[in-house]
Amino acid sequence: MGQRRRSAVKAPSSPSVSAAGEVARVPHKKHKICMVSDFFYPNMGGVESHIYQLSQCLIEKGHKVVIATHAYGRRKGVRYLTNGLKVYYLPLQVMYNQSTSTTVFHSLPLLRCVFVREGITVVHAHSSFSAMAHDALFHAKTMGLNTVFTDHSLFGFADVSSVLTNKLLTVSLCDTNHIVCVSYTSKENTVLRAALNPEIVSVIPNAVDPTDFTPDPSQRQDDTITIVVISRLVYRKGTDLLGGIIPELCLKHPDLHFLIGGEGPKRIVLEEVREKYQLHDRVRLLGALEHKDVRGVLVQGHIFLNTSLTEAFCMAIVEGASCGLQVVSTRVGGIPEVLPDDLITLCEPTVRSLCAGLETVIAKQRSGSVPSPASIHAKVRNLYTWRNVAERTEKVYDRVAGEEVLPLDRRLQRLRTHCGPVAGSIFALFAVMDFLFVLLLQWLVPDRFMDMAVDATGPQGLWRQEKSRKDSAIN
Amino acid sequence: MEDETYTDINGKAISLDCQSHSGLCREFTVSSAKVSIGKVMVYTCSVWLFAYAVFFFTQNTAVLSCAILITLVGMMFHIHFVKVDHESLLVIGSLGIQVSSSYASGRETTTFIEMSRIKDIVINEAIYMHQIIYYLCVLLKDPSEPNAVSSVVPLFQNSKPRLNCLVKVYKSCQEILSKC
Repeated sequence: MGQRRRSAVKAPSSPSVSAAGEVARVPHKKHKICMVSDFFYPNMGGVESHIYQLSQCLIEKGHKVVIATHAYGRRKGVRYLTNGLKVYYLPLQVMYNQSTSTTVFHSLPLLRCVFVREGITVVHAHSSFSAMAHDALFHAKTMGLNTVFTDHSLFGFADVSSVLTNKLLTVSLCDTNHIVCVSYTSKENTVLRAALNPEIVSVIPNAVDPTDFTPDPSQRQDDTITIVVISRLVYRKGTDLLGGIIPELCLKHPDLHFLIGGEGPKRIVLEEVREKYQLHDRVRLLGALEHKDVRGVLVQGHIFLNTSLTEAFCMAIVEGASCGLQVVSTRVGGIPEVLPDDLITLCEPTVRSLCAGLETVIAKQRSGSVPSPASIHAKVRNLYTWRNVAERTEKVYDRVAGEEVLPLDRRLQRLRTHCGPVAGSIFALFAVMDFLFVLLLQWLVPDRFMDMAVDATGPQGLWRQEKSRKDSAIN
Repeated sequence: MEDETYTDINGKAISLDCQSHSGLCREFTVSSAKVSIGKVMVYTCSVWLFAYAVFFFTQNTAVLSCAILITLVGMMFHIHFVKVDHESLLVIGSLGIQVSSSYASGRETTTFIEMSRIKDIVINEAIYMHQIIYYLCVLLKDPSEPNAVSSVVPLFQNSKPRLNCLVKVYKSCQEILSKC
């Protein structure tokens, strides 16, 4: 088993220089992918659903996919999800905001075990907030595996915390094979933050499941105009702007209603506004929503409002448009790239500009000159699909599999030339220690004593064979 | 079936003995290596050398008697409660499963699970220390609700055989369980 494993690791790396073109010519090579992130179900959010949907589509294409995340409460160990998607909930200590602590080394034994027993060839880490993702990239490079990183968020450059995070990102990404961003704005941001070569950064947007978000005009109240807002009520999402818009518009339009879904520390702002202007019957705060309930709220509205102050790729406005709503949004981050101009009204992130934008849309709505929900849905439904995302991600894997993983000496050189003399040297030292730690672990628990995991997905996936056998039995 | 060699998860050799008493009754015994004399020597020597070092500075003979006591009690504790020589699984169709483990001192512990409480025998994966391993376990059910798993009894907990050994035991267990 150890022999098989070793040959599997060396195959992509050793002949890489000459065989790079060869691999590109064989596009249907199947990969064994390990997705690593701190954020996965049962935690809810954009990154979580991105990982899940992408994995499902990759499994459909015949790749083997496993997910590694940290344990959530009593949910630890190994679990299987739909279609044999295997999830490792590793017992690592959670520090802050569902992110594990970065001691760099403590996650190595378990991650190595996962990589070795699953025969992983590509490690795909998600989200720059996830310490576990960075750890996994670091260890994967030490173990000679190809690495891909997906960045889901935008960062600033000015304050101390972002300066530090950007430095960490520089170190983490300087020898990563390929980086994926969700929008061109996000790509520009990441390239600048991590001082990367733009050629190794791809843009693959997020997607929504169009069948989950279908319009239903019968749910609307025709005698009023309802504005729907669905976001976490935090500073980044512009809840303060919303607090300014509500009284101004409610004063002008007596038939205007607000429907606000989401929870967060800024909820108090909206409650104060509601109290002060006596708008209890017209502003409804729904609190935290589960993903399955979102559509039910969206279809009740005429206009979808997004007030984000920073956003890499806004999924919410695509979901809103998919339900047939008129979308009004701030012109920040990657939002202008997301929808075509006739489906969205973009405003500056100020109360006055947003009010003006909303007024024009309300006027249009009153005159009935807006396109029907069904026609908007038809336009949006083919813009962002997970199959398309998986296809493009597959190309990234194909390209990465042909690249070589830097050997230790060149990795150290890269770290020291790319990340500055101080941080570079420190992390070069870490890289050496990591390498020694891997050697120690290989001596303590040799690869040949580790049982190879039984594949549930991928070319030899038992799950699919069983299913097809069952299908044939039924027929 | 004797030519296949089995190891535990740390790479130490173990042996699997399958006895077929009748069509519906099989016994599997996993035996691990005996306590090695070398290991005993190393532990004894290290405790005694440490005791002599302390004695050299304190000139207190109680230290030495303590060291002798510690080694004796430690050794007895080890062979009586820690070191398992054989673990056996006796599967009798329509009756139940008997799990027994015999310690190096000769002490034996036995538990019996009757068939009405057994839902299935499966191979599962778990995170153990800093490794992820496969293990064989019996799923128990409550007779009142036959579709739910009420608890899990892991088998061969001390010898921890690797997957090839587990698969062999699993297959012959399933043969018997499927018959009744």
